[in-house]
Amino acid sequence: MQIADLAFFWKSQETQSAMTQPVDDFDLIRRMQAGDDDAVRDLYAQYGQRLHAYALRLTNDPATAEDVVQVTLVTAWQTARAFRGEGRLIAWLLGIVHHTAMKSLRHMHQPLDAMEDAVSENQLTPEDQAEAGETKRWVRQGLKSLSVEHRAVLELVFYQGLSLDEVAKVCNCPLGTVKSRLSYARQHLRGVLSRTEEDWR
Amino acid sequence: MNHEEEVILYAANQMDANERARFEKHLADCADCQADLRMWQSLADEMQAAAVPAPAHLADSALETIHAPSQLARAFRGMIQLLRMQLMLMHNELWVGSAALMVIFLAMALLAARVEVLYFFAPILAAGTVTLIYGSEHDPATELTFSTPVSPWKILLARLTLVSAYNVFLALCATVGLLLILPPQALGELILGWLAPMTFLSALALLLSMWIGTGNALFISYALWSMQFLAMTSVGEWFVFLAPWLESYRQFWHDPALLFSIGLVLILFALWSSGREQVQWHRTIAM
Repeated sequence: MQIADLAFFWKSQETQSAMTQPVDDFDLIRRMQAGDDDAVRDLYAQYGQRLHAYALRLTNDPATAEDVVQVTLVTAWQTARAFRGEGRLIAWLLGIVHHTAMKSLRHMHQPLDAMEDAVSENQLTPEDQAEAGETKRWVRQGLKSLSVEHRAVLELVFYQGLSLDEVAKVCNCPLGTVKSRLSYARQHLRGVLSRTEEDWR
Repeated sequence: MNHEEEVILYAANQMDANERARFEKHLADCADCQADLRMWQSLADEMQAAAVPAPAHLADSALETIHAPSQLARAFRGMIQLLRMQLMLMHNELWVGSAALMVIFLAMALLAARVEVLYFFAPILAAGTVTLIYGSEHDPATELTFSTPVSPWKILLARLTLVSAYNVFLALCATVGLLLILPPQALGELILGWLAPMTFLSALALLLSMWIGTGNALFISYALWSMQFLAMTSVGEWFVFLAPWLESYRQFWHDPALLFSIGLVLILFALWSSGREQVQWHRTIAM
């Protein structure tokens, strides 16, 4: 791994977070508590993309993900007073998404792992697959074969940029569980990776 | 902290400058960690690339939910609407007629200076009006009503509520009118006196009118009501053996708790069976 690559990697992550408008979380919450409708719109403009991405990652179904995000916004509005500013607002919101999504998955009366196919396969157009290259393929395959709890942890760490403590809070589980899930995901993904590499040969 | 975890923190950009520098020294020599890093990086890239834009309308639909009236408020509004609709559909004669009759009964009571007149007539009037609220026999709009999504028992309950409230109101007015000949402290007793039999008799008449028609319902309920007064008049020696039975029968009509509870059961049964006519009506259509 070249150091130059790494520098680019961080840079891309930093620009991504810099792209979003800086809105004061404290101000958002204060306005929600005061019953200001625009606060919900601003909250969604600020964090909607991330909340939706997480909901979609967990549910693997666009319609359910939309419902989850909507319920999350309503819950955030109703419980804005409960947010005491311990931790970041985004972590609190993702926690609501997590809880809501898990509840709706349970209500679907399906084993959680049987849900995987919906999105990941459908969104792959033939051109996509041609372009994607092998990396994309094994990542998708690997993600697909992980349980929702493991996908949740990976998404929170690598897409949402949460610290491990924050991940534990969002998932409502001990820090140790987060670490063991990461470790399991690592082993699993590396297994998928090596199998794919063998396939290439 | 083991290396496995460090790679994750490094890849997720969660190390400070010192930690990063220290880890990079290790990374340069460790093939395993390099492989891990490549893997996590691909994962992060893939997650980044797979992100789809969030739908724009979600904030507004959430606000819609937030500002939607509560379920209770909606139910209350629906109830008021149903009552108003049924008020329009029911016969106007019902209201005018029973008011006129009540005026007559009150005049009789005042002339005779007997409160029993009201006790006798208030339940009869109530039971009479209640038999008129259900069924195509009396309601030209029944077919129309059945074609709406409102279930028949709700319609029946709405009408029963309207008529009963009106009957109680009339009887209350009459009772207040009786104050002219009545010491005020007996008022509450008098109200209880007619309210319980009125409830029971109305419920019975309603149920009977639904099952065997208005005429039969009126006949039976009036007969049952009048029977208690048999003992008051001299019925001749032939019927002396009936006297104890009649006595307990009269007791029944003076037991508010019993009357209210049986009345309630009868009303529930009437509501439950209110779908019957609808079924028949649909059957007719089908034929």
